[in-house]
Amino acid sequence: MDLEETLLGLRRRREGALMPHVYYGDPDAHFSHRLIETLAGSGADLIEFGIPFSDPTADGPTFQAACERALRNGTTPSSCITGMKELSKDLGVPFIVTTYYNIPYVAGVGAFLREIKAAGAQGIIVPNLPIEEAGPLLEEGERQGIHVILLVAPTTTEERLRKIAEMASGFIYVMNFEGVTGARDSLRDSTLRLVRRVRRHTGIPVLAGFGISRREQAEALVSAGADGVIAGSVFTKIYEARLDDPTEALPEVAEMVRELKLGCVKKQRPSPSV
Amino acid sequence: MKGRYGRFGGQYVSEMLMPALQELEEAYEKIVPDPGFKKEYQRLLKDYAGRPTPMYHAERLSQEVGCRVYLKREDLVCGGSHKLNNTLGQALLAKRMGKRRVITETAAGQHGLATIMAAKVCGLDAEIFMGVKDIKRQASNVKKMKLLGAQITPVEIGSGVLKDAVSDTLREWASCSQDTLYLMGSTVGPHPFPALVGEFQSVIGREARSQFQEREGGLPDAVIAAGSGGSNALGAFRAFLDEDDVRLYFVEGGGETLGAGNSAAAFQLGSPGVIHGAVMQVLQDMNGQIMPSRTRSAGLNYPARGPEISHLCEIGRVKACYAFDGEVFEAVETMCRTEGLVPALETAHAVAYVLNHRVEFSGDEAIIINYSGRGDKDMEAIMRHVYGS
Repeated sequence: MDLEETLLGLRRRREGALMPHVYYGDPDAHFSHRLIETLAGSGADLIEFGIPFSDPTADGPTFQAACERALRNGTTPSSCITGMKELSKDLGVPFIVTTYYNIPYVAGVGAFLREIKAAGAQGIIVPNLPIEEAGPLLEEGERQGIHVILLVAPTTTEERLRKIAEMASGFIYVMNFEGVTGARDSLRDSTLRLVRRVRRHTGIPVLAGFGISRREQAEALVSAGADGVIAGSVFTKIYEARLDDPTEALPEVAEMVRELKLGCVKKQRPSPSV
Repeated sequence: MKGRYGRFGGQYVSEMLMPALQELEEAYEKIVPDPGFKKEYQRLLKDYAGRPTPMYHAERLSQEVGCRVYLKREDLVCGGSHKLNNTLGQALLAKRMGKRRVITETAAGQHGLATIMAAKVCGLDAEIFMGVKDIKRQASNVKKMKLLGAQITPVEIGSGVLKDAVSDTLREWASCSQDTLYLMGSTVGPHPFPALVGEFQSVIGREARSQFQEREGGLPDAVIAAGSGGSNALGAFRAFLDEDDVRLYFVEGGGETLGAGNSAAAFQLGSPGVIHGAVMQVLQDMNGQIMPSRTRSAGLNYPARGPEISHLCEIGRVKACYAFDGEVFEAVETMCRTEGLVPALETAHAVAYVLNHRVEFSGDEAIIINYSGRGDKDMEAIMRHVYGS
């Protein structure tokens, strides 16, 4: 399924998208396959497929630990890409790769994008790459037909927001909180305001993430105008409690996906005025 | 491009931090050149830090080396190392920016100590992130920091060392940049930190140059400094960068052996990579995963070299050198025996390099070693080495 078509189809149905984010290889590749199948089978509309990095400074402690576990068992960018190839072939949902800039930088940005594209990725998120440094990635992304997903934060100024909206492709990733990824309980008003601010600049889909762990949060974001929500650490938190046999946690993961997806569809989205 | 040193540098941070970096850039451009700021900074350097520091002709060490060796005595800066030159500047800047708090990380504890001192002088709160391993290794500095009122936050992620503490400080800054400045301790990280720290440390080289001129006339034949991020080295080198006849040596932590997992020598074993906000020379595997560094010297135990020193070594203006742990302890003993001075283990790397490469310094030459800090904090490790146990 094409990323843009997926998001437009959801928008037409006035339904919010759910994009779960996991790091591949945590605690091992076998589990990651089962996990991603569970996510896709329980209502995820897209998969944010994390390629682990040793020093994930934009992630919180949950994902830092996930990356460490994955790297300890020998997960490499190429083992991730091989895994993604199998998964994206079998599952009908779009895959978006997330990784830190050193991974494509060392592999060569062009070569890296070619490889993930061949493995089924439709977009890439690089959390430590602001627009000032994104030139090479944007250029290669355009050449190879990979959406470079740009991020905005509550601290992003209007001027930056305008620039980011101009360069954006696929969707815009709205970071809810000042800080890093990690499941949180409440959602500040500033987030809802930010979603509306982004909306004023662009018609491109907006997905909001960071700190999503409850249905009501998804509901609030979608009713504020977001095209969907991104949830990550919440799933890792569920299975990291049972690392000796994480597959036992899959039913609970599935339940969480269904809950969050319910939040994405429960309240009618505002009519698509853009 | 902003903040570039050849292919090194840049601003590779989360969008979340960009407004904070831009605010700092503006402050750097507007506040630092302001005469009022300069005056206050100079006052603190002189009356609080104890600058200018002397340049000492170490005659007995010179005999061992076989040429005239001068020590730029940064160990005499209040707090025991060059770190205060930078923290006073940045804390003053933070105050002028209207921040109420600074956060930072520390490994050997020297930067942490200098940070809480500067924070106190400027009426700011300070939180200091420190790897759990380093907290154990540098107990005396931890005690001092606590006594001065710093909040010490232990970092357990990764290997519990400096690299991990930097990651956690960046995370913390993303959530509190509105009222807090990340007081960067070395010439590393995203622009404008390398430029800012380099500028505050460049007082070392300016003083050294004029002191040498007075003493010997002309310029030194070589300047030698140890480092990882590069702040004391760049501080000493900057005044001589345009003088092609002055040879510059940067000595990194060789660790036990030059093997993966046993060393911190990023110029020998690393390659350019993006870590902690910038392209830096860094220890990494073929896939771009950052590798832990290893050396007995906590202050050199960082896998990346700052953008400016990375560039200067790449273009050959600065010679990238290293000293092994064993050589470093011998250098400590030599300093004790010849000059009655106990150097910090970091500083001893520069001394060790000179002692082990006498042939590079001919008899009629005069050289400056940037004597960056004293060894009180390393007494336990040094005693263990000298007396065994």
